[in-house]
Amino acid sequence: MATKRPPFWQREQYTPFLLLLPAILTLLFVVLLPLLFSLYTSFTGYRLIRPESLWQWIGFRNYQRIFADGDFWTAFGRTIIFLTIALNLEFLFGLGIALLINKITWGQRTLRTIMMFPMMFSPILVGYQFKFVFNDNIGILNNALQSLGLSDGAIPWLVDKYLANFSIIFAEVWMSTSVFAILLLAGLFAMPRDPLEAAKVDGCNPWQVFRHITLPFLMPFVFIAMTIRSLDVARAYDIVDVMTGGGPAGRTELLWTLIARTGYDNARMGQANAMAYVSILLSIAFTYYFFTKLLAARKYMGGAE
Amino acid sequence: MTKMTFRKLLAATALTGITATAVVAEEVDYGKFDGYTLRVKLIGGAQYEPLYARIAEWEAMTGATVDVLSRKNHFELDREIKQDIAAGTLDWCVGSNHTSFAPQYGSIYIDLNGVIADATLAEFQSLALENSTVDGRLVQLPRHSDISNLYYIKSLFEDADNQAKFEAEYGYALTPPETWDQVKDQAMFFADAPTFYGTQFVGKDEAITGRFYELLIANGGALFDDDWNPTFNSAAGVEAVNFFKDLYEAQAVPAGSLNYLWDDTGLGFASGTVALNLDWAGWASFFNDPENSKIAGDIGLVRAPKGSAGIRTGWSGSHSFSITETCDNQAAAASFVTFLTSHESQMVEATAGLLPTRAAVWDDAKAQFTADGNNFLVEVFETYAVSMSEDAFTPPLITPWIEVSNEIWPQLQAAILGEKTPQEALDEAADAARIVMEDAGYL
Repeated sequence: MATKRPPFWQREQYTPFLLLLPAILTLLFVVLLPLLFSLYTSFTGYRLIRPESLWQWIGFRNYQRIFADGDFWTAFGRTIIFLTIALNLEFLFGLGIALLINKITWGQRTLRTIMMFPMMFSPILVGYQFKFVFNDNIGILNNALQSLGLSDGAIPWLVDKYLANFSIIFAEVWMSTSVFAILLLAGLFAMPRDPLEAAKVDGCNPWQVFRHITLPFLMPFVFIAMTIRSLDVARAYDIVDVMTGGGPAGRTELLWTLIARTGYDNARMGQANAMAYVSILLSIAFTYYFFTKLLAARKYMGGAE
Repeated sequence: MTKMTFRKLLAATALTGITATAVVAEEVDYGKFDGYTLRVKLIGGAQYEPLYARIAEWEAMTGATVDVLSRKNHFELDREIKQDIAAGTLDWCVGSNHTSFAPQYGSIYIDLNGVIADATLAEFQSLALENSTVDGRLVQLPRHSDISNLYYIKSLFEDADNQAKFEAEYGYALTPPETWDQVKDQAMFFADAPTFYGTQFVGKDEAITGRFYELLIANGGALFDDDWNPTFNSAAGVEAVNFFKDLYEAQAVPAGSLNYLWDDTGLGFASGTVALNLDWAGWASFFNDPENSKIAGDIGLVRAPKGSAGIRTGWSGSHSFSITETCDNQAAAASFVTFLTSHESQMVEATAGLLPTRAAVWDDAKAQFTADGNNFLVEVFETYAVSMSEDAFTPPLITPWIEVSNEIWPQLQAAILGEKTPQEALDEAADAARIVMEDAGYL
């Protein structure tokens, strides 16, 4: 007599799904549902102060509006430029710091800890710190420049078109360069010694060793750091909001200062969510680009694909 | 029922004992709410806190407990309340409010007519109550009012050398300004960037919209016509923008002004590096306190000057308290807001320079300052009393006001910085404001 088949949840081929169920449910409720909900609201005239407007379906009107909105695209473009400059500077400084720390033999742990201090501050505090540093009237930078005789005027650090963006990038780089430094340092620690020694025996100079051995080996680490930081910077809000609020005259407006003002101050949450969905494309594009680069770098090193 | 009796003695009489006068006694019954916990969201900040020290008295009187859920500046509180509306979590009873913000919140707050006794309401200034009314409903009880007048450093104007040089350059005598054109001349005359500035202005958010708005009115313009079409891109509007732009280009204001808010301008004037400062009365005590201010004892004050239409600037509003529709004990909430806006409470706030909304407190506070020998605060109250009664006007009390403001101020900044001409900037702002008004159903 054939044994009775067990119920389907006890069958072997379903076991993996059963075991994954908690993770799937968590993702569903914590990630997917809110995402679908906000996607839905981007097609409505949802305003925070009018809960009933959640059911006011307006089709693509929000999207039509932002696609025709010059301010949005300016903020979009500025976010890309901001991201590119900040990431590259953080990479260069982080690489320099990692190489220097890798060289020293005494006090390395202490230095590594000190290096991480800026990461420990909340972005809001970093914003206030640099708002004070760059204040035109009472800020320490202008006062120092005037005392040293390097400047006889009040330099409008947070107002001038270029200086204001420079100041914000400076604050962002100050806070986050150590992310790159730590990851690249980990890469340097993991690096095999043999190729380095072989290169020296073959007569390579230090630049050639760095260019053809150290750097290619570090590239996978660089791209991982770039991916993490690109997601961070594309969401930059706190520092910008505190230092300039996206102004003056929208000169430092990034996507998230614009979206926050639209969603909360103007209470147009539907339109803000439409903006957010368009800006997510930016993050996906950067992430895709860095992952492609990461795979290429690993392939170059003979690693797994 | 516990009855709380307190006496409103005319302060001068009580302190000096020189004149015998009537004693006004008032009995207020704040009720008994044993074991009840009243949940509230209040505006925070140095100038608002002294009043909250009195909450313990109300708790002792009524047996209720007050749970302060948040204590933030008004812009943050506004965001939090909007989130509460969206999430349906209006599970609190009393919230701080402001005449400029109140129209946004729809019907979440109750009409206080009939909830607060008519006799109590009669003691408030009628204009303050009128400005607290939205769509015929009294949605807030005014706590203190806000209007700006012009502070200046006295010694600069008394200096004979300054007087002679100014007259030679501008052709008229150096006296505290009566018009905004004179303010501009004098600010440019006194300025010596980067160590000393003629004046300053708040440069972003609703703050600069408000300053533009009051100058627009003073120049004979208007934000909207009778049908709510935006009309601020008029000649009067351009003239108002040019006032800020000219001062900025002449470096008569700090280069960072466009990032300044109220604290920056207040502290700037107290630092003694600014000649003229348009500000509210809440700073008066601070400016005249040698501990905090380098110009204590050297401050003059005049009514806000006139624009080109002969009208004085007078952007005004009131901080207030509201009670939610969802409140589970409206009697306790009404008792609480009545207590926080009582005669005694307003006397506490008046001492800091905050302008009362109860008519009688104006006189009583002034009498108290006189008795205390604080002539500066007497002058402050006399000046602000005139401007509150003759010059005050609010922004349009409409739901999309903050949104319209958010369309105007970035354009003002662009014009001041020279990225656009004032006319271009105002035209763009007017177009954007029109869309906001259309969306809100006004057009």
